[in-house]
Amino acid sequence: MRSLLFTLSLLCFASQTSLSWKKEEFRTCDQTPFCKRARSRAPGTCSLIATDVTISDGDLVAKLTPKDNDDHINPLILSLSVYRNGIVRLRIDEDHSLNPPKKRFRVPDVLVSELEAKKIRLEKFATENDPPSSVVHVGDGYEAVVRHEPFEVYVRERSGRRVLSLNSHGLFDFEQMRKKGEGDNWEEKFRTHTDSRPFGSQSISFGVSFYESSFVYGIPEHATSFALKPTKGPGVEESAEPYRLFNLDVFEYDHESPFGLYGSIPFMVSHGKSGKSSGFFWLNAAEMQIDVLAEGWDAESSSRIDTLWMSEAGIVDTFFFVGPEPKDVVRQYASVTGTSAMPQLFATGYHQCRWNYKDEEDVAQVDSKFDEYDIPYDVLWLDIEHTDGKRYFTWDSALFPNPEEMQKKLDVKGRRMVTIVDPHIKRDDSYFLHKEATEMGYYVKDSSGKDFDGWCWPGSSSYIDMLSPEIREWWGGRFSYKNYVGSTPSLYIWNDMNEPSVFNGPEVTMPRDALHVGGVEHREVHNAYGYYFHMATSDGLVMRGEGKDRPFVLSRAIFPGTQRYGAIWTGDNTAEWEHLRVSIPMLLTLGLTGITFSGADIGGFFGNPEPELLVRWYQVGAYYPFFRGHAHHDTKRREPWLFGERNTELMRDAIHTRYTLLPYFYTLFREANVTGVPVLRPLWMEFPQDEATFSNDEAFMVGNGLLVQGVYTKGTTHASVYLPGEESWYDLRNGKTYVGGKTYKMDAPEESIPAFQRAGTIIPRKDRFRRSSFQMDNDPYTLVIALNSSQEADGELYIDDGKSFEFKRGAYIHRRFVFSNGVLTSTNIAPPEASLSSQCLIDRIILLGHSSGPNSALVEPLNQKAEIEMGPLRMGGLVASSGTKVLTIRKPGVRVDQDWTIKIL
Amino acid sequence: MRVLLSFLLLLLASSAIRSSSSPVTDDPFLGISPLDEKYYKSSSEIKCKDGSKRFTRAQLNDDFCDCADGTDEPGTSACPNGKFYCRNAGHSPLVLFSSRVNDGICDCCDGSDEYDGIVTCSNTCWEAGKAARENLKKKIDTYNQGVVIRRKEIEQAKVGLEKDEAELKKLKSEEKILKGLVQQLKERKEQIEKIGEKDRLEKEKEEKERKEAELAAQPGNGTSEEKTDDNGKVEGSTAGEEMPGVSQDDEILDENEHHDETGRYKDLDTDEEPAAEAEPTSVLEEGTHTNPANQHVVETKEESPSSEDLITAGSQHDGSTKKEESDEVKKEEDIVSEKKEELSKEELGRLVASRWTGEKSDTPSEADEDSKADDHENHDHTPTSPQEVEEDDGFVSDGDEETGDDGKYSDHEPEDDTYEEEYRHDSTSSYKSDGEDDLDLSETTSSPTWLEKIQKTVKNILQAVNLFQTTPVDKSEADRVRKEYDESSSKLKKIQSRVSSLEKKLKQDFGPEKEFYSFHGRCFESKQGKYTYKVCAYKEATQEEGYSKTQLGGWEKFENSYQFMTYTNGDKCWNGPDRSLKIKLRCGLKNELMDVDEPSRCEYAAVLSTPARCLEDKLKELQEKLEKLMNQDQPQKHDEL
Repeated sequence: MRSLLFTLSLLCFASQTSLSWKKEEFRTCDQTPFCKRARSRAPGTCSLIATDVTISDGDLVAKLTPKDNDDHINPLILSLSVYRNGIVRLRIDEDHSLNPPKKRFRVPDVLVSELEAKKIRLEKFATENDPPSSVVHVGDGYEAVVRHEPFEVYVRERSGRRVLSLNSHGLFDFEQMRKKGEGDNWEEKFRTHTDSRPFGSQSISFGVSFYESSFVYGIPEHATSFALKPTKGPGVEESAEPYRLFNLDVFEYDHESPFGLYGSIPFMVSHGKSGKSSGFFWLNAAEMQIDVLAEGWDAESSSRIDTLWMSEAGIVDTFFFVGPEPKDVVRQYASVTGTSAMPQLFATGYHQCRWNYKDEEDVAQVDSKFDEYDIPYDVLWLDIEHTDGKRYFTWDSALFPNPEEMQKKLDVKGRRMVTIVDPHIKRDDSYFLHKEATEMGYYVKDSSGKDFDGWCWPGSSSYIDMLSPEIREWWGGRFSYKNYVGSTPSLYIWNDMNEPSVFNGPEVTMPRDALHVGGVEHREVHNAYGYYFHMATSDGLVMRGEGKDRPFVLSRAIFPGTQRYGAIWTGDNTAEWEHLRVSIPMLLTLGLTGITFSGADIGGFFGNPEPELLVRWYQVGAYYPFFRGHAHHDTKRREPWLFGERNTELMRDAIHTRYTLLPYFYTLFREANVTGVPVLRPLWMEFPQDEATFSNDEAFMVGNGLLVQGVYTKGTTHASVYLPGEESWYDLRNGKTYVGGKTYKMDAPEESIPAFQRAGTIIPRKDRFRRSSFQMDNDPYTLVIALNSSQEADGELYIDDGKSFEFKRGAYIHRRFVFSNGVLTSTNIAPPEASLSSQCLIDRIILLGHSSGPNSALVEPLNQKAEIEMGPLRMGGLVASSGTKVLTIRKPGVRVDQDWTIKIL
Repeated sequence: MRVLLSFLLLLLASSAIRSSSSPVTDDPFLGISPLDEKYYKSSSEIKCKDGSKRFTRAQLNDDFCDCADGTDEPGTSACPNGKFYCRNAGHSPLVLFSSRVNDGICDCCDGSDEYDGIVTCSNTCWEAGKAARENLKKKIDTYNQGVVIRRKEIEQAKVGLEKDEAELKKLKSEEKILKGLVQQLKERKEQIEKIGEKDRLEKEKEEKERKEAELAAQPGNGTSEEKTDDNGKVEGSTAGEEMPGVSQDDEILDENEHHDETGRYKDLDTDEEPAAEAEPTSVLEEGTHTNPANQHVVETKEESPSSEDLITAGSQHDGSTKKEESDEVKKEEDIVSEKKEELSKEELGRLVASRWTGEKSDTPSEADEDSKADDHENHDHTPTSPQEVEEDDGFVSDGDEETGDDGKYSDHEPEDDTYEEEYRHDSTSSYKSDGEDDLDLSETTSSPTWLEKIQKTVKNILQAVNLFQTTPVDKSEADRVRKEYDESSSKLKKIQSRVSSLEKKLKQDFGPEKEFYSFHGRCFESKQGKYTYKVCAYKEATQEEGYSKTQLGGWEKFENSYQFMTYTNGDKCWNGPDRSLKIKLRCGLKNELMDVDEPSRCEYAAVLSTPARCLEDKLKELQEKLEKLMNQDQPQKHDEL
């Protein structure tokens, strides 16, 4: 009785404890038959051999058959393709010509259409005899090898050094579809739910080995360390779970668990002492479990990391990325799944959200407070309560009687609004959307073929079947101004609950035997459901703007390719220091796996952050690519001005820091848009040879120029910071120089967290304060030049209109600034056809680390002199006011869109 | 906490600059307050005000920030920390953050903040100024009348307090006398009872002896009914202090899960039973401060009608009336023990949803109705932004410095502390709080001779009874003593209760001039949507919907120099804090409650207009302000000087 009472009181005070994660409601590997089976397989049990190797349609094709095929098991078809820039694709599926009971699901609309053009059509392959293998060239000194017996596929440098291998330990297993016989019972039960599993077992598992690797990273979304800890083998607890990839709505998730959260990206990156990286990606949308095996698990000691990949369904469609640089791996991955969409400028500013801003008065009030306290922000958000009874695309007419007017009032200040639209549709016959979706047959069906009926915010709900392109197009049309009554061009969208969250479903999601178009089972498509929803919404906003307005859609669920459709956030975190800390490894992981436009809720969604935590969170969050404050409706209000004058000042300063850096962030977003290299980077991405950085996930790089160290403990005024590399670093707060390759105990007073500019970089800023990014349009730039030991530095600046797709047609400015031999040069690096002009001036140039004290500079071609004097390192900042003075070129009067040189005299 | 959007500064005639309806573009002194011009004109090298460096006249407003504090760029956006002064002739001057200069939005009514040609701002100062002056006049009007009412109230408070004190004094002396009488009567009564008892015992003895004689010996057994009773009581009253370990506590827990909306100890705080009041309150406090489980006990008690029941409530709920709830407890148990079989799909959905929403899982969509009901009737007359207010009345940040951190949503409310009659939309009312001070002492207090009468009666009785001292007691005389004793002690109790309630009242904080005296025993009501909010001064605040009542808080105190009234420790919120209410007080001609809102979960805010806040100093201040505004109406005149 006592324990019951205790448990009940825990239930009652759920939000006050971090222990309320309902672990038992989710399956462990042991409770998941395919996972349990795969995990207990011994190495060497795979007896498949590759036969009939040929070249077909530009691919290397082979059959996989058991060595002694006494049971007359159908062969599997293996096909290997090679793409430019070091990408090898391996597919293994059942032989469709043998008519399996059901065609296995291949995930559509994830790989970019341009990929096909990068395919290198294979014409021949070489044969090796010891052991018997077939070899093809990958280019750039790499080869892909199919060893025949036992079957293994690996990539090696031409020198022979292995990079990546699949099935090096004979762990491969592929459960072929069978016809259901009399008396076969394939049902699986978990708690109160029964999965009918009409097609039986169809799981796939295999090992992947990363050679010469110290750590592996990636496979979000988990709240764990950045470098993935082993989950099995020597030194790992027996009870340890594999990393799970299964999109779930997890109430009050733990800050340290391999448990799968809202999104799944089966992409892993390795990195080792040699400074080389490689990557492995499995395109599969079914539940996946991944073990990282501890060194020595196979009694071999090596610098290799072995991993075990297990999936419930689908096919083997995998990609090997050879690297060798970390940035090469992310570029290679991006060339397969796409780079991140170019966000509108406003979306890179500060977002203010709460569940819920209650009514129009509340909105007006919050908006005006930002002005009253001179705190910039760009977007105000409305959560589910703005709707009429959780019917999306509607407004609560009592609370929001004039939504258009409300949006216009924000819009005149350049501010936008975001409303929430979730995939669950209220089953209410008088609701137009439900009526239409029902009539058109657009809902996901349950296993009996009826519209699936689950429970979510509106109560009884059905879910739009986003797998179908036709339905997606229809969905996109719901966002037109005509269909979404009360919407205006300054309104953008938030897709929440798209895992999908089903409150009364197994593990709070949709039953695996629910059916999508074409008879696809939910189990096969689960992890991609939210991705298709995000895609449909984002495409809908493009349609709404007639292709002229870049969409902004925030999603919670993620899948490979999500980066093409918008931003994501790390879901319902908690107002605890540990959650602030884990936000960095989580965002680093997302960035590494393509999703660079990501952030965690500032302050923590659940619970009430103490002011110190909130301030620290703003200071770190100012560097998140996606910067949004959000809170649960049971929490106290926490807008930045509610904690006393000093705390207001601290939070304002953190937000201002972000706004001054917007030109830099925007340039980095463009880099990510072009190359796939993330905005937020692990240190080793910039310093691949520096081993001390490999497991550092408390500090991070913003682009190649800034290193930021968060403060993650209460009451701390110091932070231990490792500054990598051989060049120096300049403290952004006081201009002080630090030599790289060392760990320092840095001051971290309440007004700042340690942040450094890397010697050899140039960072563009806009130092004027404004209400929102919109008003900064015409403001002049500041360039901060951090000289390296050879008195050189370079950097870039990208500018476009900040909102339309015209940049795709060349309407942008892309400048490269180089400082060398005492001369700063601005050159155009946009293609010649690029055309955009800007009246903006560069009115302040700060020189850090200049060896002499010059007092003037010559500006060409204007042939004018500009004064050099000592000026503040940062305008208006809390720390700058302490009086740091640095060499400043005053009003050089050069335009940002033109070529010029400035010579230090 | 005063990062003010603007400062209200008056123009000095001698330094007035030329007014212009079109934006100034080439004024070297743009954005400088007239009071400050001297500083800039004094020499050719100007010092940054923070002393950090010097700049030349040419560097003044050259759109490049030289001083970290913004001294050199009062008229541009170049310095992040700068301030821009707009003169706003015809209205009130305004000081802006430099971030507003040339940002495409017209902030000054004279348009002087936008001069880069990107937008054209028309000069609206005259209209805005006029409206502001009219508003100010209205406000002064209200204050004028309010001040009179307030003065009256203060006088009445004086009289009232004197009366209270006199009454208390009188009651105390009466209490003393009556106590003596009651004591005498008690002694007499006991004497009579003793005699009676003696008689009885003797009679019993006789009877016994008679019976014993008649019958053979038989064993008797002693019982202790009373003891059993006591045990029951003890168990009941301690249930709230210890971890409940008996089955009936299940329902109690369940109550918390499902009935968190109902009030808790609303009926306890009556002055009639001060003695009884003390005990349940202390139980309650322990409940809230020690262990969550204890609260459930208290919540259960809330349903019990009287305080006596309350004490034993824990043991009296035997589940017979609570079958439904106990069924639901079962469900909860099942969930806890991971057996969801008995939940329907829908129940499971609700249950999981309730983790995020904190709602009772059996009423799904109350939340939106909850927020819907809050306060949206007021939208049309509530200023939507400080700017608007500013334009309207031109005195944004003029005075309420002492307001500090206590706005409705935040610390700085646009000042609007008068409440014009015609704005009234809420259905509000105020009335005498029920049960407060209404103890009927008329019988005892109305006639000055009642005490004498009693004294006389008692004397008679005592004398009369005395005569029979030695003889067996006359039954009617004994009855008379008993009756007189009963009546007198009941009167004594009433007087004591009245004394204690008066003492309590006189201890209350009625304000520096006792201007809040009339609040005592009063309640103010405001109906908003389906809810009726009831605020009883010095007592409690509730939210009522139909028959359900939620306590928003018990009286705490005045805050910030009587600008706020606070109520705290209201009913617990599921997943949230204890409810609380903060009421902003502002000058108005009547006591009226309005704008009840819930800006943060379970933290309510409201506004109460009252003459008690129509301060004379403030009136003076407003009048001075108006005078200055009126003087400034004709700027041209000054220019000619």
